[in-house]
This record gives sequence, structure tokens and C-alpha cells, in this order.
Amino acid sequence: MNIIETQNLSKSYAEFHAVSGISLHIPKGSVYGFLGPNGAGKSTTMKLFLGLTQPTGGTFTVDGMQYPENRIPILKQIGSFIESPAFYGNLSGEENLDIIRKLLGLPKSAAAEALELVGLTSVRKRLAKKYSLGMKQRLGLAEALIGKPPILILDEPTNGLDPVGIHEIRELIRSLPQKWGCTVFVSSHLLTEIERMADIVGILNHGHLLFEGTLEQLKSTAIKKGYPTDNLEDTFLALVDADNRQSERGCMQ
Amino acid sequence: MTFLLECKKAKRIGFYPALIGSSILAAAIPILNIIIRGEIDVTASKSPLQGLLGANWQLMTMLNILFIAASASLLYHTEYADNAMQKLYTLPIHEGSVFYGKTLFISVMSLLTLTVEFSALAFCSYYWYTPENSFILELCQNFGYSLLLLLPCVVLALLISEFCQSMWMSLGICVVCVFIATMLPTDQFLLSLFPFALPFQMLDTAQTVPYLCAACTELLILIVTEKIAVKIRRSIS
Repeated sequence: MNIIETQNLSKSYAEFHAVSGISLHIPKGSVYGFLGPNGAGKSTTMKLFLGLTQPTGGTFTVDGMQYPENRIPILKQIGSFIESPAFYGNLSGEENLDIIRKLLGLPKSAAAEALELVGLTSVRKRLAKKYSLGMKQRLGLAEALIGKPPILILDEPTNGLDPVGIHEIRELIRSLPQKWGCTVFVSSHLLTEIERMADIVGILNHGHLLFEGTLEQLKSTAIKKGYPTDNLEDTFLALVDADNRQSERGCMQ
Repeated sequence: MTFLLECKKAKRIGFYPALIGSSILAAAIPILNIIIRGEIDVTASKSPLQGLLGANWQLMTMLNILFIAASASLLYHTEYADNAMQKLYTLPIHEGSVFYGKTLFISVMSLLTLTVEFSALAFCSYYWYTPENSFILELCQNFGYSLLLLLPCVVLALLISEFCQSMWMSLGICVVCVFIATMLPTDQFLLSLFPFALPFQMLDTAQTVPYLCAACTELLILIVTEKIAVKIRRSIS
């Protein structure tokens, strides 16, 4: 069963098509890796799911609920981390989470649990503006994880983390479907990260969905098309390159 | 709960020292005025309170609306500075709730400021003059009137701050509005309806009802503007 489904979802800004008629199928309880070069439309797609930007075409459903009619019920299902950590610099990590906890109507223990999950308990009293980049990233993740939402939308969650932090967060994301039964929709330009985390991948380029399926399916598709399959990076580059060449030909014609 | 959250968000940004400072400064105006000038002649006025307001209210209001302008800019700056506003938009809350929470918060803080200021006026009346028995009623009427006339200014300052992500831009626009308000003639009814000019009006039996109606209408218009702004922002995002 798909918890998130899109039908020809599009977002255009004047002449620029950030997302062009993509149809995603995100199964419940999976880690869905969303791959694409910079400017491919990954963040825009995630913002569409959160209502931060409005689609110019197509529709999507979250847990069977249609957007925009069910904006609030949809947002109740989602914990998110988009682009960069969002916080109040004048408040401590704990106070930041407490604000979100109160807005979501969660019990007091929820903030402490989220801080514990991302390893910020020892610095919870420190002002968020005094956190290092990695700590801010962890705080952003804690804000997404608070209340154990059934769906997590994470945009480049390991940005700014050191190798140990990347490993910890990767393991955390990997474990969430089993721990809480939640679905994780995660984007990254770090292909090895996605390879290690995701059950299913979607590859986006210039707003088009080039591929959607398991890593095994990606491999067999690449073999059929004669693309390299030694590692995900080579396959990804070949797919994107082929799409870029096709787009250039289309433009010239 | 929104009000309590706003109280929390306003910590460590200089809001509370500004609140205390501006309240004390505004409250000190009538006291210092009497001490420096000697007793203010209130024989021409109906009561000592009217005399005191006539001599001090313009300057006190100027401080009040400058405090409102700075507070509105500062409160929205904390939302925009580290992207907290975007996070709020991804939570299952009504998009306008941040605005209404801040409106309630600044209105309550303005009420506290006015309480300190009217306490100072009451002190001056009792210490230097002999007020009549109806003084407390008169004081409460003036207090309520001033608070109501201050509300459109609060909402407009917050609307400006919500639209401008840069604190300097919203603060600049609000300060320009304050100076425009001080230049407008207070005896011209239509001009004095400008939300930043409205708080300069004092309780006057002849004009009370029109000004109260104007303040309520302005509040309604500004709240409808906020509702429309939320819809427009959503549709163009």
C-alpha cells in the first residue's frame, strides 16, 4: 500500500518547470530515497507535500487524503526537515522543541525523547544560535522526529554532519520503519547514503522522474540500457547524462 | 496557549527590557513635567486628568507607538531569522495563528504599558491636585479608550512586519508611519483616522463614538486584510 502517491504532479515558475508531471509511489513502512542533481526539483517536491508551495498541475494523496482539502490532517501525519534547520536562535534546543511539542499537543516527555534520539540531551540547555552546524542539523531532525510521526520527509538530513554523525543518523533513519512503522521519504545528493538507507529510489532530473523502483530494479534497467552498474554513482550519472542529452536534442529541434 | 508561546519566543531578544524601559519612560513624563515646570495649570480643563493628558499624552503616545513598531519588527525577526516561520507552516496549525498570537501578545503588553502610564497619571492627580469622586471612573474610561485606539496600530505594525522579512525594512516603514502620524493635524477627523495617528486622540465626549467606531472598523479591515494575505501568499508560493 502506498502512503504517498502523486499523479502528474507539476510545479512551474513562469517559464521554468521545477517539477514536471511526476507520479511517485511511496510504499508504507519503507525508506524511499529521492535522488537528483542540484536543482532537479527534489526540495520543491517535498515542499509540495508540506503545502509550502502550491502545485501548478496534478494531484497527490497522503495516507489516502487529498491535498489541499485535507491540509491540516495531512500535516498531522508528517514530520519534516526541509533544506536547512529551522529554529529560534534566542531559545535553547529544549525550548525550541517545547514550542513544537506544545503546538502539536504532545506530552512533555516527547521533547526529551526527540533530543535523546538525535544525541542532543547533553546540550539541550544551550542556545540554538550557539550550536555547531552539526548540532543545528540534529536539532532540525529532532523537530521532525518529535511525536513519532507516521511519515518523515527529510531533505538532505546528513548535510553538515561529521562521518560519525552521518553514520548515526543513517542508522537512525534505517531503523525507523521497524521501530515506529513509519515511512521515510529522504532526499540526498550523497548516492552512497541513499544506497545504504533506501529500500526504493526515485531519480529526478530537470523535474522529470527518470526512474522509480528498488535498487535491484535500477540495476536491471541499467543493464538493459547498457549503462554501467558497478555502483549507484555510475548508474545515476549515466541516467542523468542520457536525460540531459535527450533534453538538449529536444531543445535544438 | 498561543499567548504563552509568544511570551516564550520573546525571551532574550530585548523585548522585555524594551517593554519595561518604555513603560517607565512614558510613565515618568507627567511626573517629570510637573517637577520641572512646576504644577501644570488644570483650571482650564474639566479635571486634573484631562489637564495632565493634554500636557503629556502626545509624547507618551509617541513612545507607545514606537514601542509597538519596534516590538512587531523584533517579534517577526525572530520568526524569519533562522527559518522558524517555514517550520511553523509545516505544522498542523492555521497559518494565521502566528499573526493572531502576536496580536494578542502585543495587545496585552500594551495594556501593561498603559496600566503603568495611567498609574503615573493617577499618582500625579492625587499628589499634586485634588481629584473629584468620579476620578477613578474617568481614569478607567480614558484607559479603555486609549487601549482600543491603540489596537489598529498594533495590527497594522504586525501586518507590515509580517510582509517584510527584513527587520530593518519593517522597522523603517513603521517609523515613517509614526512620523507621518505626528505630522497629521489631530483636529482633522479623516486624517486622524490613520492607525498610527489614532492613539494620539484623547477621550472627548463630542468625538468619542466616531473614533471608537473608526477603531473597530479599522480593526475589522486589517484582520480581513490578514486573512486575504494568507490566501494570496499560499496561492503564489
